[in-house]
Formats: sequence, structure tokens, C-alpha cells
Amino acid sequence: MNKFWVITKEVYKKNIKSFGFIVMVLIPLIIIGFIAGMTYYFSQEAQNAEPTPIAVVTDDPALQELFSDEEWNFDIAEDITTEEEAETALTAEDIEGYMVINTEAQTLQAEIVHANELSNQIPIITEVLTNYQTMLRANDLELAPEQVMSLTEAVQVEETVVSIEEGALTEEDTTDRMIQEWSAYAVSIAIMAFIMTYSGIIAEEVANEKGTRIMEIILSSATATNHFFGKLVGVIMVMLTQIAIYAAVGFAAYLYFRDTDFVQGLIGEMDIMGMLQELLGYTLIFFVAGVLIYVILAAFFGSLATKMEDVNKAVTPIVFIALAGFYVGLFAFTSPENTLAVVFSYIPLFTPFVMPFRIASGTVATSGIWLSIVGTVGFAALISAVALAFYRSNVLVYSDTNILGTIKRSWNIMQSNKKARKQRSA
Amino acid sequence: MLEVKNLRKTFGDLTAVEDVSFTIRPGEIMGLIGQNGAGKTTTFRIILDLLTADQGEVLWENQHLSKKIFNKIGYLPEERGLYPKVSIENQILYFAQLRGKKKSEISPLIDDWLKKFDVKGKKTDKVKTLSKGNQQKVQLICTLIHEPELIILDEPFSGLDPVNAELLEEGIREAQSKGARIIFSSHNMNNVEELCDSLIMLKNGRQVLNGAVRDIREQFGRTKLFLESDLSREALLEFPGVQRVEKNRDGIDIVYLTQAEEGKAIFEAATRNGYIPTFSQQPPTLEEIFKRMAGERNE
Repeated sequence: MNKFWVITKEVYKKNIKSFGFIVMVLIPLIIIGFIAGMTYYFSQEAQNAEPTPIAVVTDDPALQELFSDEEWNFDIAEDITTEEEAETALTAEDIEGYMVINTEAQTLQAEIVHANELSNQIPIITEVLTNYQTMLRANDLELAPEQVMSLTEAVQVEETVVSIEEGALTEEDTTDRMIQEWSAYAVSIAIMAFIMTYSGIIAEEVANEKGTRIMEIILSSATATNHFFGKLVGVIMVMLTQIAIYAAVGFAAYLYFRDTDFVQGLIGEMDIMGMLQELLGYTLIFFVAGVLIYVILAAFFGSLATKMEDVNKAVTPIVFIALAGFYVGLFAFTSPENTLAVVFSYIPLFTPFVMPFRIASGTVATSGIWLSIVGTVGFAALISAVALAFYRSNVLVYSDTNILGTIKRSWNIMQSNKKARKQRSA
Repeated sequence: MLEVKNLRKTFGDLTAVEDVSFTIRPGEIMGLIGQNGAGKTTTFRIILDLLTADQGEVLWENQHLSKKIFNKIGYLPEERGLYPKVSIENQILYFAQLRGKKKSEISPLIDDWLKKFDVKGKKTDKVKTLSKGNQQKVQLICTLIHEPELIILDEPFSGLDPVNAELLEEGIREAQSKGARIIFSSHNMNNVEELCDSLIMLKNGRQVLNGAVRDIREQFGRTKLFLESDLSREALLEFPGVQRVEKNRDGIDIVYLTQAEEGKAIFEAATRNGYIPTFSQQPPTLEEIFKRMAGERNE
């Protein structure tokens, strides 16, 4: 078997079997499951809530009937007909509140007395009573139902969102735009989460092998290129496995729950296929390129650490860059046309965080998107080349100085080897 | 045959290795000694192609040593490292695969090797559950199991108890009998004297000793005399060429001479009444030579 695959397989197997991987995969699932469970529980709770016992004291039996309707979830104590009786019942906690409604000359006057149990319903109660009053007065004015309708009809408001592109106005689909914005948001969070986890994993892999001198054994068995890319591909395969697990769990959950009212209520409005299409477009390119760049950087910084304990120190710069990108991205979410956002969207390390928001807000032309993609991919290739060149000599430097010192010494070794090779071939 | 010719390696102003040359034939063991920082690891790294020499070359069977012979190398680095969370078996298989072996070739050998080195533990045990000594033995198995033709061991004896050191010696001898060329570095001169056919001593990157162990010792002359006789310390000190006299724990006098020839006069005087239990004139031990060479100021 090719040594590249031997290394890739080993990295993959070791990580997949580790306890850390299982925890890493399960924790988001547990959190999502917990939140979904809680939401479901509370919505069920609200649906199955016991009807609130109240009394309606009025001369108009139609009003009592109005509140007996099931959607109110009120239990009307029909035997209570006077305010005194209602008060006694409330004191005895037989009911939780009562309404005294007077109808006088087509004017409704209501007094609601309750033990703070009806506060949430009061705006709706008010609206219902207002409608009822409107009906009474319409009757009095002898208006036909059509006339009432025409009086109460709401104003028609139509919203059209346009994007200004190259001097022309283009109509935009608002739901499409919303989906794009939220998938951009999801992607920047996902990139952040994956960068945090996987840059740590690969830096640890590399630093561990260097610190234990396993690296010297490996580099006397296989080339540095095989090792570097073997590790990279191995770790990326672990990541793809994690994503595949989530996709599978998500799809299974969708199939299993899609017909329940609760889920329909949640996602009924959403266009799942539309969202997936959005995700599979530019966003996916930025996700892949973003994670790749940071993972390569992490492997490079990992090779600078001398001991396992130094890994966190070595990875810190990457985490800070990623955090900066993440925050500029959030900023671009709110003001995508700001100069800072525009500039950062073309800087390769920040592009994956910022550009998706600009695409979502429609403030960037297609040519700009492709420019940033070419820039990001080109940068990924460039840092792979640089990282690889240093990698061979980095792993031979065991200095206790800081990272810059290590880079300097590594550079010296690299130059010395290069010079020697040149002399040889001359 | 491994030929190392006039190696020179500098890092900026620092000369790590200068004019190092040696040859190792099949079945030969060479010891590489020198103080810390003398250039041993740099020499190993040049041989392993981890570093490129400024000058000189490393030849394997008359060809420039390159990654083509990576599969024939067994290398034990100075600081031992294994993956703690991987089982002994998988650890051995991984390194063997990196040396171009197939799993099916190595799998059936593992039990025998674990037995040979008396590793306590099952092959499915994770490396981290083993004691340090046992981990070290597993690492040795990783270095040797693919039957390398060139074996480089950086301080293989450090941290091994005498029983395990003997197991290692047996392992090295077995590889030797199969024709491997072996280089090892050590701070323990007894190991070097016992095992090596030849040795190199480096000092500040330069080769200060080079040759067969016996020859090197003889080179320094038989200036150390073990003597058990009725001659008093004062009497001994009166001989010309006697530097100093020490008594060891068994009551034997150790006489240090400036010239080996002086021994004859002492022999005559000591044996004037016939039998004496001890008269042994020896060259300095490697350890003494090492200390003397290391202590000498740079010429």
C-alpha cells in the first residue's frame, strides 16, 4: 500500500476510534435533541393546559357563548350570574378571574378581575370585545354585512425588495434572501466550530509526533510531502465523517418526524430544498476552502511546537484570526456595504466568514465572488507550499525559544539544506 | 556497505559536523560516541536524509543514499515515542507498513518478537498501559521487526535495566548475524566495548577517534598496571615513569605509567621473590579514553 494511504488510514482510524471523537459528535446532537425536546414539551404543555375557570357576568348571553368557544380554553362557570357570587368564587379560588361586561346603548364596558392569571389573554379579549361592539353598532346603524366588511377592511401593503446592481434595480425574493442570510450565518458558525475543533486536532497530531520523535521515524520512512498531506487528508476525512453523521441523523429525524404537527409548525414555512441548494452553492465552496486554509495553518503551527504542552500556544494565533474573521462576518451581516466588510471579504483568511454575508445581501457582483474564490483557493495552495517547505525542517528543531525563534532556526536549516543541494547539483 | 565520506554540515556560523568519514560492512557494528552536542544526532540525520550535507556524501552499496532505501532502514531515535492510545499490535504494524511491509507479513511475527523481548502485556493492550521499560522494548521491536539492513540506534541502552540491556544486546547480535550494518550511539562505554567492531568518537563535530575498538585502546599504550605484590606504594612511586598509584577496593594497586615500557622494571622488582597473584598491564578503558579526549582542550 502506498505510504500516503498508510498514514491517512492511521490518522483516520486513530481519531475515529478515540473517545474524544465520539464526544465531539454526540455533544451537538445532545444539545439539539435537548432543545428540541424542551420546545416540544413546552408546546405540548401549552396545548394540553387545563381550561382556566372564569366567570362572565353579563346580561348578554351571546357574550358568554363567545368566550365558551374552545379556542379560548376557558371554563365558564355558568351558574355565576352576579358580581358578588363571582367575588366569592374567586376568594374561594374556585375560579381564577371574572369579567363584568355591561352593554349600554351599543357600548361595551368590561371590568376584568383576576389573580394575575389572565394577563396574557387581555389584549385578545379586548380585541374580541371591540369586534363585538362594532357588530352591535353596525346593527344599530342598520348596515349590511358587506358595508361592515368594507369599513373594517385592512389596508393592502405590498413589499418589494430590490437590489441595486450595475445601475439597475433587480427584484429580489425576500424569502430567498432570508434563506441566504441564515445559511451564511449557519456557515460562519459551522466554519468557526470546525476550525476550533479540527485545527486543534491536527496541531496536536503533528506536535505529538514531533515531541515524541515519532516524526523522525516517519520521515526516515516516508517523504515529508506524504506525511503532511496524509495527515491533512486523514483529518479532513474525520471531519467529513462527522458531517456525514449529522446529515444522516438530520435526514432520519426529518423522515421520522416530518408529519407531526409540531415539526410542520416549525418548518412548514421553510423551503428545505431551497435551503439545501443555497448551502450547496457558493457557501459550500467557502466552507471547504475556509476549513482547509485553517487546518493547513494549524498543521504548520503544530510543527513549530516542541512539546504537546505548547500546542495551545502555537494554535492561538490561528484562533484569533478566525475569531476576527467571525466578528467581521457578523458585522457584515448587519452592514454588508461597509468598507471594512468589503475589504475583508477579499482577504483570503477572512473571505470564508465575510463573503457569504455579502452574497446573501446581494451587495457583490458574480465577478467579485469568483475573484474571492480564486483568491482563497490560491492562498490555500500557497500556504500549503510554504507550510510543507518549512515542515521538513520545523520538525527537526527542538528549541525552547518562542515560535519566532523556531521559525528562524527552521529557516536556517531550510536554507542550509537548499544551499547544500544546490552545491551538489552544481 | 554503508560509506560515509567527508561529511560537513554547517548551520549559519555553527559547524555541526566536519570531515566525518567511516565505512560499515555487512554484519558490522559501529559505535558512535561523543559528548552531548558533539554532532552525533546531526550525523544520524544526514545518513537518514533528514538533513542534506554541505559537503561529502553517504553511499549505500555505492549508490547515493536516498528515499529508495527508506524501507531497509531501522531507526530508533534518542527520545522514545509511541502513540499512547494505540495497541501494541497496531503500533508495530503501522511502523512496519511505513517501511513498506504488508500487514500479513508482519502480523504472524508479532507474538514471537514480544516473547523474544519478554514484553509484559498482551498485544491488544494499549501502549500507555505498559511500563516505560516495556514501551522501550516495543519501540525496539518496531525498529527491528522489518529486518532492516541498516540499523541506527540513538542511545538504545539508556534507561534499560541489565536484564533488558542483555535482551537488547541479543537483538542487536541477531540482526548482525543476518548481515545488517548497525550504528549506535551510547554514553555507556561498556556497551560499546562489548558490542562494537569499530567506533568513532566525535568532538565538536570532528572525528577524534576512528577504528577498531582494540586498536584504539592499544593506540594509547598499556599504561595501566594492576599489581598485587609486596612492593609498597612508596617503592612503586620511586620507579621512573610512575605517575601515581591507587589502591582499589580489593587491595590491588593500580599503577599509572607514562610509558608502557616502564612496566618491565616493575615486573622484575615485583617478581624478585617468585610468584605474585596479579600482574596485568592494560591499555586504558574506553571510558578513560573518552574522558581524556573529551577533557582535552581544542588543539
